[in-house]
Amino acid sequence: MATLQINGQTLDIGTIDPSTPLLWVLRDTLGLVGTKYGCGIAQCGACTVHLNGEPVRSCQIPVGNLSSEQITTIEGLAGADGTLTKIQQAWIDEDVPQCGYCQAGQIMSATALLRKNPNPSDADIDAAMSGNLCRCATYTRIRRAIKVAAGQQTATAFYDAAAAQGERA
Amino acid sequence: MNMKTTLPPELPSFFHAIVAGESAPVSSDVNRRSFLKLTGLVGGGLVLGGFGAMSSRKAYAQQAAADVSTLSAYVQIKPDGRITLFSKNPECGQGIKTGLPLIIAEELDCAWSDVDVVQADVDAAKYGANQFAGGSLSTPMNWMGMRQAGATARAMILAAAAKQLKLPLAELTTADTKVLHAASNRSWSYGDFAELAATMPVPEVASLTLKDPSQFKLLGRRWTGVDNHGIVTGKPLFGADSRMDGMLYATFTKSPQIAGKAVVFNEAHIKSLPGVVDAFIVEPFLDARFFSANSGTHFGGVAIVAENTWAAIKAKRELQVEWDTSTAESATWDDLVERAKALADKDGEPLMVNVGPPGPNAQRAPAARGDVDAAFTSAAKVISAFYEYPYVSHAQLEPETTTAVFKDGKIEIWAPAQIPQGGEAGAAVVAGVTPENSTLHMTRIGGGFGRKLANDYVFEAAAIAKRMEGRPVKLQWTREDDMMHDFFRPGGFHAYKAALDADGKLVAFQDHFMSHTGNGQGPMTSADLSANVFPMDVVPNLKITQTLFQNGIPTGPMRAPGSNALAFSFQSFMHELAVASGKDHVQFMLETLGGEGPAENPQGMHKGRAANVIRAAAEMAGWGKEMPKGRALGLSFYFCHSGYVAQVADVEVFANKDVKVHKVYAAADFGFIHNLSAAENQLEGGIVDGLSQLFNAKITFNNGVIQQQNFHQYPLLRMPQTPALETKFLQPAEFSPTGAGEPSMPPLLAAVANAIFNATGERIRKMPLSELGYRLV
Repeated sequence: MATLQINGQTLDIGTIDPSTPLLWVLRDTLGLVGTKYGCGIAQCGACTVHLNGEPVRSCQIPVGNLSSEQITTIEGLAGADGTLTKIQQAWIDEDVPQCGYCQAGQIMSATALLRKNPNPSDADIDAAMSGNLCRCATYTRIRRAIKVAAGQQTATAFYDAAAAQGERA
Repeated sequence: MNMKTTLPPELPSFFHAIVAGESAPVSSDVNRRSFLKLTGLVGGGLVLGGFGAMSSRKAYAQQAAADVSTLSAYVQIKPDGRITLFSKNPECGQGIKTGLPLIIAEELDCAWSDVDVVQADVDAAKYGANQFAGGSLSTPMNWMGMRQAGATARAMILAAAAKQLKLPLAELTTADTKVLHAASNRSWSYGDFAELAATMPVPEVASLTLKDPSQFKLLGRRWTGVDNHGIVTGKPLFGADSRMDGMLYATFTKSPQIAGKAVVFNEAHIKSLPGVVDAFIVEPFLDARFFSANSGTHFGGVAIVAENTWAAIKAKRELQVEWDTSTAESATWDDLVERAKALADKDGEPLMVNVGPPGPNAQRAPAARGDVDAAFTSAAKVISAFYEYPYVSHAQLEPETTTAVFKDGKIEIWAPAQIPQGGEAGAAVVAGVTPENSTLHMTRIGGGFGRKLANDYVFEAAAIAKRMEGRPVKLQWTREDDMMHDFFRPGGFHAYKAALDADGKLVAFQDHFMSHTGNGQGPMTSADLSANVFPMDVVPNLKITQTLFQNGIPTGPMRAPGSNALAFSFQSFMHELAVASGKDHVQFMLETLGGEGPAENPQGMHKGRAANVIRAAAEMAGWGKEMPKGRALGLSFYFCHSGYVAQVADVEVFANKDVKVHKVYAAADFGFIHNLSAAENQLEGGIVDGLSQLFNAKITFNNGVIQQQNFHQYPLLRMPQTPALETKFLQPAEFSPTGAGEPSMPPLLAAVANAIFNATGERIRKMPLSELGYRLV
């Protein structure tokens, strides 16, 4: 019986073809479907998870290569009591998602960025996020949400009258 | 507000058919009263379903003009004051799951924080035939119906409150989910009256008082999406996320040469592979090459069913199939390009366009006016140009997927589908069951862009589930399946010729439009041209002809169908004319519009709204300002899907043809904006989507085989290339809301192309720009 260290828990994955990409183990075996399939060739970033804190493409990691690494998925970011991370909250506050399918991968990449570099420049953000495609093209909001989470920018004023007129700092 | 809404003529004919009830996926004739009798108390409280469905045989325009909703809403108010609002149209990223309930909530006069939003199920009896996501219609189709639903529920709550409290109705008002009695300074939760309200008579629509927009508390502001918490925490919202006990996983493999049929495959070997449960040929379901929402559109192929997705994908890689390609497609893109170039200085057949109201029974006549030849002879200047754009793929990030189970003579489906009623109806045919034994549940759609208007993958899943009777099966297309078996945006060619008089005024316009036919009769879906394309609609002398190449490579609607290509060639050529006229581009555009008044036909362009967005975008960008060498502004305007958008791009071109788009300014008029955040998201996304297509997107085919398979061969724009964006919504008060998703994108193409000309003097007459040596940085 193989096990994986996922979101702080030791999870049993049974007997499994060692060539199976981590992506499909998460989605099919463990039911952690927040991590998405988009291309299967590490082009889109929808399957991004953390391996010992580093953002990786889970479609490219055969499960047989894993043993004691700490894996974090989108489901493992919020606190046990449901408290969202600053990044997750900024994504809601900035209304980043359109279809939302890529956003788990975007959030995993952004989370890894801010952990290493709490005050990133635009170039740092470009470099960290360029592996994640958003077909709906929410890139300007992703950038803004990262800056809000980093405390570089105040959150967009939602729900208020000034915002309703299209004004935004 | 002007409530008259008409269906934009550039929409594919199946939209007209659906809303006209002539080809509805499922038609219904439940009148409002009889439907309301079907609903009642569920767990206590007011349950209001309603507004079902006027006669589906009436034309959409007539229904809208009659000021009665064709659509349904569903409101549930619980005794504890919580309110559930059911959102009836599919959510594909356009924000409608938030937008429709917001409209109900406004007229219901409740606090948004008291609302839970639930995705409604597919139900033509409750919701009518317009339960789809396409044509930028979700908002305009539902705007009035959702308001009436909210106002009806509010009226019933008030009536119940008056009765229960023994107070005069006229003394009661509402705010924030509360009934207020100012005279006694008391207030009560809506929930206090929910049970009694359910027994109150349903007011006539004509008796309802809707809010004046100045009274709106919720609409017009920024609202974050109702699913956003689920998205950022990885909840199973999408089609691909469906899971059931005992579920199997399937792949489906079709002929690389489009429309080839599977004859035989290495069945014994595939079935011997680890984890494979079954493998079999699925026969084509109504082998129809032509895009259709609710008829068969899949070609058959080989299904592999396995214990998990990876086992199914691994086995797919070892699949060897003998394909019968005797009736397969055989077109080659490069051949079509050569044929088109050879026809550039010839006319085609007269292009037929709608005359009068659009729809399945629209009258058609040649797109011709005045005498172009005489105008060319007497013109001061005659300008000709040949434009080309390629096939492109939707490339929505969620590959096609559907989960289905066939059990006890019933088929049940969970699918990301833009026309879910069509999926449900077609799946019944595939599974061999009656329509009432087919149920489709809408999931959130991980990107649609028009791809998931086709239900081919739903039908494939239904066929696989039928064979695997009793076991749920999730079909998962690979990215390669998706890219090679899209319903593509068709490529096309335009040989333009236009005349300017001595004053630099546009006096004649001619286009030989070359596109594609699969049946030898009409053009393929989205390979058509409507009469409304500016400046066709305003020029005094006009001649449009068409040549259709025999080419059945599947095509379908993609975000702003038709417009997403025409806006490039038409509005680039308009800039060529402006340059030839010696006039400023803004001035030339306004002069060509020729006024500020409304269009002569209800589907047409309002010249004043067009002029206003052009002026606004120019002003935002500082049009006319000094720019550094190699850097320039470029303008474009387009009207489609009832929306008006002008964009100005600030573009720098370097010596090596690297292009930096510094900023794009966009001014849009979609009428009243009810959720500013969602509208802005659509406009920003449309701009960046356009950049991606302009620079890189190209699908080619050799002998009917698509040559691109994944994102390494079909690059999408990434964050570092994204320009700064500035958007503005004009929102003239007299126009009701129209959709934002589609009209946002088309102007970008020519805005950047025209800016490149202004910066370098090199005219762009071909997409994508990567083929001309340009690289977006």
